[in-house]
Amino acid sequence: MQLRRKKRAGKVRENLAMFSASLLAATIAPAANEAKAQYNDSSYNNDIFGPGIAYSEIDSALLVYQEPGGRVRAIEPATDLTAHGAAGQELNLGLVFDAVSGATPNGAVPSDKIQTFVTPLKAQGSTVTVTSASGGSTVIHLPPSPGEVASAALGRQYTVAPNALPMDRGFRDHRIGFNFGMSFPLGGISNVGFGGGYSIERDYRAITANARIAQNFNSDDTTISLSLNTELDSSFPYGGVPTPLTPMIPDWKTPSSRGKTQAGFVLGLTEVMTRRWLMQLDYSFDLQSGYQNDPYRVISVVDPVSGEPTSYLYENRPNNRQSQSLFWDNKLDFDPAVTDLSLRYFKDSWGVTSETAELSERIRLARWVYVEPSARWYQQSAANFFDNYLVSGQPLPAFASPDPRLGKFTAITYGAKVGFNPTGRTELYLRGGYYQQTGDGHPADAIGQLKQQNLFAGTNAAFVFLGYNWDFH
Amino acid sequence: MARREMQLDPYPLQTAADDHIYFSKEASSGGRGFAGGGCGCN
Repeated sequence: MQLRRKKRAGKVRENLAMFSASLLAATIAPAANEAKAQYNDSSYNNDIFGPGIAYSEIDSALLVYQEPGGRVRAIEPATDLTAHGAAGQELNLGLVFDAVSGATPNGAVPSDKIQTFVTPLKAQGSTVTVTSASGGSTVIHLPPSPGEVASAALGRQYTVAPNALPMDRGFRDHRIGFNFGMSFPLGGISNVGFGGGYSIERDYRAITANARIAQNFNSDDTTISLSLNTELDSSFPYGGVPTPLTPMIPDWKTPSSRGKTQAGFVLGLTEVMTRRWLMQLDYSFDLQSGYQNDPYRVISVVDPVSGEPTSYLYENRPNNRQSQSLFWDNKLDFDPAVTDLSLRYFKDSWGVTSETAELSERIRLARWVYVEPSARWYQQSAANFFDNYLVSGQPLPAFASPDPRLGKFTAITYGAKVGFNPTGRTELYLRGGYYQQTGDGHPADAIGQLKQQNLFAGTNAAFVFLGYNWDFH
Repeated sequence: MARREMQLDPYPLQTAADDHIYFSKEASSGGRGFAGGGCGCN
């Protein structure tokens, strides 16, 4: 058994070495002269890994995420394979899979009466099997449009109980994503790199590409970097792309897809401040252009006196969005503890500003085990087109969305992690966390029955993250 | 300074998972890395 395992490990190593060599052969630079130490304690075992050493590593992880009340549940396994060259080269391949299901708010406000919603079910001419997994929905036959075959058109109808947050329980999706990256010293440049990614799900596709250049100064205590990124996305929602601010209908819509492009850069500074203090400062700029609506989200139009919903319109967001952020991270070594404190300020052209503070304290209990409690605080202002609802009889705005993600709220995450590093070359860690959003569910200007409702559709979530890392030569 | 826990991003899969959670629930993204999520989660 032991011999077999060694043979397999050797084969992996051999393949990795060949793969890395073939990709990096044209760009091998002279050995880096960094005086950085290896991050493993050589007295702990006979293996050393880190800058200046050729080795490989496998990272694998599983995320389980659950929102209460039957809302979204996600299971996300991921794995990364990285080959490090002795001269600072790096080749990375990654794979991630998502399975998401559960109920998700459709954007409408609660009512003291039963509400009924309709969505497309199947394309005309297709067959359909109705199961209990459709979340309590019923299949409806749609009246034919002129020239259409009446029997082939189907829709899905679901009802929401009085005073309940309207949610579509038919939500289910899965995603698979690949990414790769490589970086290496090039001539007098400390590090250049590029990468890309591809992600596909039932109704969305994203293609990303990035490039990076970094230069070390000051005996490698200072690094300045510039990273460029672009993303080409395509949204092909189930049922087609709805016309913004038109009534919710079960018919299939056109066009079937819309695209979005994104381009941005990150300008970074990393500085070794003292022997025990590492600091990173990043400025990010990002432009997004194209379809940015949530095609499944509607906004209620309510009666100006009673607050009862009179109709539901598909939301609409501006096509262009520009954002900037400033991120400051500090690592402080108080052996046997390491403190990580980061702050972020974010601002975008939709009127959203946010502040984030994150603190973790990793405490080594023994050479092979550590614990790491953490906390994150976040608050954001609302986008200037965010509304819980629209009022009947008033002029229709150009843009409107009830997405709680665009509303004003505060969020806190509590987390704890425990890690085991039994051999110095492997690490197993388990992290648990709880995410809690709070917002104003009872705005002073609520109308009629809406005064009695909780209009904040934000959520809480619990998550568990299990990770395993293996370094090998 | 050179220990794993003193690296700027010692657990990239964990960072990616956190970013994915926050991206799907908040209007802000990016900072440590690029904005956007490479997915359509809403």
